[in-house]
Amino acid sequence: MSAATTHDHSHAADHGHDHHEQAWIWKYVFSTDHKTIGIQYAITGLLFLLFGFFLMLLMRWSIAYPGVAVPGVEVIRSIPGLGYVFEEMFGRWLNADGSLNGELYNMLGAMHGTIMVFFGIVPLGFAGFVNFVMPLQIGTIDMAFPKLNMLSYWFFFLSGVLMMWSFFVGTGPVQTGWTMYSPLASTTAIGVTNVWNHGHTWWLMAMVFNISASLLGSVNVITTIINLRAKGMGWMRMPAFSWAMFVTAFLLLLAFPPLEVAALLQLSDRMFGSSFYLPTGLMEGGKHLDISGGGSPLLYQHLFWFLAHPEVYVLILPAFAILTDVIPNNARRPLWGYKMMVYSMLTLGFLSFLVWAHHMYLTGMGTMMTTYFQITTVLISVPSVILLTCLMISLWGGSIRFNTQMLFGSAFLPMFGIGGLTGLPLAFSFIDLALHDTYYVIGHFHYVVAPGTIFALFAGVYHWFPKATGRFMNDKLGKLHFWPSLIGMNLIFAPMFIQGMAGFHRRWYDGGKYFEQTAGFQNWSTTLTHKIGAFFGLNIPDNMLSLNIVMTFGAIILALGQVPFIYNFWVSIKCGEKVKSDNPWNATTLDWATPTPPPHGNFVFDVNAHRGPYEYSVPGHPTDFFPQWETEHGKPNPDGSDEVKTASASHAHH
Amino acid sequence: MDIPYTVHARPDTGLYNAKVGIWLFLASEVMLFGGLFSSYIFLRVGADYPWPVHELNVTLGCVNTVVLIASSVTIVWAWAALKMRKFGLYKFLMAFTVICAGVFMVNKTFEYKAKFEHYAVKLSDGTILTGHLPHGYHIKFGEVTQLSMSIPLKTASIGADPVNYVLNHLDAGASPRFKTEDGKEVTLDAATFAALKAAAIDKAKAEKRDTAGIKLTALAPLAFTVSQSDIFAYAADTMTFRDGTVAAGKLTDDKMTIEVDGVDTRGVAQKEKSLAFDHRYLGEAWQKAYIANRDHHTAEFDKNYPTRDKTKSATFQKEAFFLPIHSATAPAAEGHGNGHGAEAHAPAADHGDAHGGHHPSVVLEKKDITFFSNFTPKLNTYYAIYFTLTGLHGLHVVAGALVLAYFLVFNGKMMREDPEHLANRVEVGGLFWHFVDLVWIFLFPLLYLL
Amino acid sequence: MSDSADPVELQKHVKKYLFIGALLIFFTGITVWLSFVELPTHSMNIIVGMIVATFKAALVALIFMHLNHERPLIYKVLAFTVVLCFVLFILFVMANSDPLVDRQFTAPLQSVEQLQ
Repeated sequence: MSAATTHDHSHAADHGHDHHEQAWIWKYVFSTDHKTIGIQYAITGLLFLLFGFFLMLLMRWSIAYPGVAVPGVEVIRSIPGLGYVFEEMFGRWLNADGSLNGELYNMLGAMHGTIMVFFGIVPLGFAGFVNFVMPLQIGTIDMAFPKLNMLSYWFFFLSGVLMMWSFFVGTGPVQTGWTMYSPLASTTAIGVTNVWNHGHTWWLMAMVFNISASLLGSVNVITTIINLRAKGMGWMRMPAFSWAMFVTAFLLLLAFPPLEVAALLQLSDRMFGSSFYLPTGLMEGGKHLDISGGGSPLLYQHLFWFLAHPEVYVLILPAFAILTDVIPNNARRPLWGYKMMVYSMLTLGFLSFLVWAHHMYLTGMGTMMTTYFQITTVLISVPSVILLTCLMISLWGGSIRFNTQMLFGSAFLPMFGIGGLTGLPLAFSFIDLALHDTYYVIGHFHYVVAPGTIFALFAGVYHWFPKATGRFMNDKLGKLHFWPSLIGMNLIFAPMFIQGMAGFHRRWYDGGKYFEQTAGFQNWSTTLTHKIGAFFGLNIPDNMLSLNIVMTFGAIILALGQVPFIYNFWVSIKCGEKVKSDNPWNATTLDWATPTPPPHGNFVFDVNAHRGPYEYSVPGHPTDFFPQWETEHGKPNPDGSDEVKTASASHAHH
Repeated sequence: MDIPYTVHARPDTGLYNAKVGIWLFLASEVMLFGGLFSSYIFLRVGADYPWPVHELNVTLGCVNTVVLIASSVTIVWAWAALKMRKFGLYKFLMAFTVICAGVFMVNKTFEYKAKFEHYAVKLSDGTILTGHLPHGYHIKFGEVTQLSMSIPLKTASIGADPVNYVLNHLDAGASPRFKTEDGKEVTLDAATFAALKAAAIDKAKAEKRDTAGIKLTALAPLAFTVSQSDIFAYAADTMTFRDGTVAAGKLTDDKMTIEVDGVDTRGVAQKEKSLAFDHRYLGEAWQKAYIANRDHHTAEFDKNYPTRDKTKSATFQKEAFFLPIHSATAPAAEGHGNGHGAEAHAPAADHGDAHGGHHPSVVLEKKDITFFSNFTPKLNTYYAIYFTLTGLHGLHVVAGALVLAYFLVFNGKMMREDPEHLANRVEVGGLFWHFVDLVWIFLFPLLYLL
Repeated sequence: MSDSADPVELQKHVKKYLFIGALLIFFTGITVWLSFVELPTHSMNIIVGMIVATFKAALVALIFMHLNHERPLIYKVLAFTVVLCFVLFILFVMANSDPLVDRQFTAPLQSVEQLQ
């Protein structure tokens, strides 16, 4: 096996007469290679993120301009093909004048949540990065069960197809929020005579495949980390990236089954007429339903949140995972408090199973249980704060390289900080009772996952892109991607805190227009908005509703900001600047010891971990990094394929 | 290029890959069944009806338990045989295990089938009558002159579907000839309806309405026979089908004939005055039998457990207030007490067998029925969780048996050439199989016994 | 678990498996019998039944699934899982009751029930 850096060039031309090469379809589509699967996951995830974002843009339009036709609808409708698809998915629900209604808004809301969480962030952040990076980083040739790994991706792919299909069926996609609370979700449109015409059936089926995919994936990840680490790669020499992914995989493994139970019982309620979630005497439309009753909607909420709270950490831990590589690498400093971070992640993982009912304060839980969940919720902020603090301290005294991934990485820190700190008040039931389901909550968790996690995911994409393709992404375009994203994100989510505390409810499709009380309310932020608008000659009214316009404006900036990224991503695969070394960022972990891009089987030498993962700026060492695989400087490995790690990297001793 | 540690254990963890994998998978399975068991607890604690105890067929459950335990022994024995390279014994034991799985599933089928055929009817005062519906339950609706449908444009594809949904229930011999609103005479079939629907939708669009309407007048009055799940609602002169089609006509019959095999009065405030003993239904003779049975069990309970609270004994509640019926006429009042008591002590409700005897046939009026169902998930949360738990467990049995059968049938070459690898596979498959057994060890007492 | 392919050792194991199988069937009989015994409250029947079932399950897990001599790593994973399972069992139910308040509210209700 050679360091075939160019093996993917013009594969289409040479696969026909090269018998050693696998057929294109087995190599790039039904591949069992962890790197290909990782890239498949990542790209599918990115596409779903884009789609989920598009749903959100439609919603934001309706919130800022209720009753006004969505711009460009007529144009899209007139495009052959696309017009038909758009009409089937969204167009048929629009009002006659082209504006949104509550029905469509609810569909968009439910699908935005579902797609972003289960089809966007988890596949990209967890499955994508863990598949591509983790086996490289622990120094193995592939995952423990490569065939299961492939199956896992195709289950996920199938679940994505089923979920998208639900847009096209008779009732349209689900309208009951991503949480699918019963009894509403158990009984909505129960009269539909053919269950396959109901979006809910497809949602549940898609989730069954999605859950199966996560199950296979997480079993694979944990087994690989436990059993396939390279020689010398002891537990405490494993990069924090792999540790975080290890914990995440455990969360997926153990938290998803109760969701599967929740979905099964809901399916039973819908298909077999059982009453798991339906209380005795439930009425709809003035009529008793033909059910036995005796169940409880709270059972659903418990089962659902038993998954959905750990799921929050499934969304966040991959972000921390990526930053534990990106930040030390670009600050040229060891990761501060590596062991503490590892233990924090383990604690975080465990505690995340014990806090779920803080989503349910409003259900009237007993005071004792409320107290218990308040305590655990406050407790869990401790490991989160430790993780964030360790990352921040790692910056201290470093000579930081502000390339694109570091910009995203460093923006993550304050953004996640805002998201986390605004969550603390929500831990207390008396505050939560007031803020439940308001935009405050939306602002809080979006700060965590949108400018938080998604920024970290972008950092990861920029960071590992050269390893995956052999080419850099353009740094200038990257900065053009970063700044609008940062501004856009904050314009969207910061005003939500203000609106939320003013009582704006998350499910108002008209953004509160028809609620006179809220519309008439004003404070400094609305006045500021009004004055800034006036400066640019825009007539933005001085009331809370004006913040809706700010947020929609922010969303448009964010949308424009993604254009350079999309362009950069696809064009750089073929035309980006080529990497000159296998370790372009002068990193220390084993993922950079492979040829670029890594061939099937990954390593060209017998890889060994000789030291900890973060040996940056070691005093007395000739370069400012000392990779795990080198026995001594310049002697990376016995048959050293590319040992010329030129000392051109800046000597960032302080 | 081979993945390391597929056959031999990694020295520092002491495990081969598949072993780690299966234990992680089982951990996930523990959480799956953990979720279901905790739902069971949740539902049981919150149940607002007497939770059924000893209501399932204990014998069948017992047989299945023994079958599963036997298969658990044979699978681990098969693994040991393979380790000792006794291939013949290994094959025999694997086959035995798979056959055990088959026996288990056959038993399960009998158990399920009996439940689908057995019904419970809740009367308006809370009495529950159990029994069989000899003709099923149908609502007869006649003299139908008009069908009207309204089709929301947005969901036109799932709107009214009279051809597939309503005409099925048309009484035999009637011809579905209708007059449309513009006076045309049509035979309603898929093509005609599609044309009518398209025309109505076009018309609605032209008039800027968001619902299209179709009205069909029957040339000759029609009659429908429907089951309750086919319709949303009905009154004396209209019937709304589930697809939204509304028929105008006249209700002819909605009475239910049931062959009663049990009267459960546990949910009734004045138990001996239960609606079941109304003169229209079971009548006075059975009321006497009920009182005799109750008094007999009360006396017996007082004798055996003088200090105990009768309201807290589930067994007493069931024996005293649930009257199983095994004959078509009420037994003579005197001297039956002991005989009946003995019956009530037997594990009640062998639902399948009960059909053999004769039972009083009662014709219930719809206004007295609040709810009815066969013994399926719809009946109550107990049967809902029973079917979910045992159904999911059954799926695990089938999946496990398929995997083991695969090892037996398709891994002959591996057995001869790399028996150690196959032993690992059998061990991993066996671990799953033991887990299935382990779940059943909890399911059996929770659902059948306690 | 034992990697030993020593036939004598394995033959001993087989005897043990058969014995445990018989024991399990015996305890199944015990469970059925116990369920028909009228203990002072039905909750006690449930508790006793569950104790026997747990004992049987332990036999399966320890002997058939070789958990009596497994690697520490497996124990760690399973301990974590079992703890979470108990969290599922206990907290779901407890979240619906309130020991601090229940005494005041449910005591009168119970006495009403007894009157009926």
